Amino acid sequence: MALKTLLKLLIIPAIISLTSCDGLFQYNPNEIVLNKNQRNLTGKNIEQIVQLPVKDTMRFIFMGDSQRWYDETVKFVESANRQRNIDFVIHAGDISDFGITNELKWINDIMQKLNYPYLTVIGNHDIVANGSDAYVKMFGPLDYTFGYGDYKFVFVNTNSLEYGLDGSTPNIPWLRAQLADNPEKKQTIVIGHVPPFDADFDRNLEKEYAATLAADPNLKFTLYGHQHAFKEGEFYDDGVQYYQTTSMGNRGYLVISCWKEGHKVERITF
Amino acid sequence: MLFSGSFAAYAQDDQPGLRNRKWFIPDHLKLQFAGNIGFLSGGPGYVSRNKTLETDVLFGFLPKKFGGDALVTISAKTTYSPWKIPLKNTYYIRPFSIGAYLSYTFGPQFDTKWPSYYPAGYYWWATSFRPGAYVGGKVGRDLRIKNQVRQFEFYYELGSYDLLMISYVQNREYLKLSDIGSLSFGIKMAL
Repeated sequence: MALKTLLKLLIIPAIISLTSCDGLFQYNPNEIVLNKNQRNLTGKNIEQIVQLPVKDTMRFIFMGDSQRWYDETVKFVESANRQRNIDFVIHAGDISDFGITNELKWINDIMQKLNYPYLTVIGNHDIVANGSDAYVKMFGPLDYTFGYGDYKFVFVNTNSLEYGLDGSTPNIPWLRAQLADNPEKKQTIVIGHVPPFDADFDRNLEKEYAATLAADPNLKFTLYGHQHAFKEGEFYDDGVQYYQTTSMGNRGYLVISCWKEGHKVERITF
Repeated sequence: MLFSGSFAAYAQDDQPGLRNRKWFIPDHLKLQFAGNIGFLSGGPGYVSRNKTLETDVLFGFLPKKFGGDALVTISAKTTYSPWKIPLKNTYYIRPFSIGAYLSYTFGPQFDTKWPSYYPAGYYWWATSFRPGAYVGGKVGRDLRIKNQVRQFEFYYELGSYDLLMISYVQNREYLKLSDIGSLSFGIKMAL
């Protein structure tokens, strides 16, 4: 009789938790187990963004490096939701710290509380272990573009070190083709995680990358994360403005406003 | 240390009058579901003379269908279950267990020693080895089969691993224990 009671005690909570939450059972830290609503997030969020009414001024938030700073990212979302006239949010990469799918899910759960759609670019930490596969399944391609209003956004994987500095990353021929494919001459914003002036960027590709950006007449500016510090400047004396956002751990982000003849970048701390 | 402890304890068990068995022959087999060491994992184990400390080697497999990636894992586990409460009909419970494991997952995407192109200490953890810990409990029964007492146990464990524990400690507002913990269960058959 005692055994029956005991079995009930063991089995009932198990059944309740089975039906009430996903992730009760974990088979491997590197498993990539996703719900339907945790897949193709890049595609789904782009669909939302392109339906937003186009205004004279586009305003978006650029934040990044949420790696293992969940409490701070929750605070970021509260701060971001208090900003006015924001169209969308862009995450500069290092969504996760260990490249574990659970981490990507946690950040996505937090970012779902934003009043705006969000997009991501892959960071070096998101490539570790099975991270790259998880990113592709959950968000989408590592390199991608989309157009909104008079602007074209180009997201490029710049995490050279994760590929052993083998000359493959960033994919400059792809980048050049995307910049060239711009018949409407949309103002172009290129976004990566590791900036070309960082040691983790392939030294052999740095000049070519910077020159590719400088050669594009439609380039508005270019955005990065990774160094956990705000930075801005014309790093290659070629007229290209680089902006870098800080980490969630440092409780900061950028609010970027764009209009036809100009743009404004504000540093926000929360 | 736990390893040598359990082996040493077993060696004492191999005395005249007790079951005569070579020290390397396992005492039991386990089959486990979930617990971050495979969808299913199984393998041999040893138990200390007083039956409180078990050490197991489990070979785990996670099919792509359940894990998004097919993963093979090998794990060493040590479980301490200090108390035994006898029930009727040779049933008993071990109400509390605590244990730890170290798993190794095979695959070219997992590193033990990071490649030399990374600066020293760039990533501080290995992605192939994963240490974890758990608490749990067991229900067992001593069955008499062919004049030999055979012990069967059902166990459950609630566990987590280093990377999630660190995340939890640093994010006490957002993360709950249920976010980092997961359930596993298994059966043990004494040989």
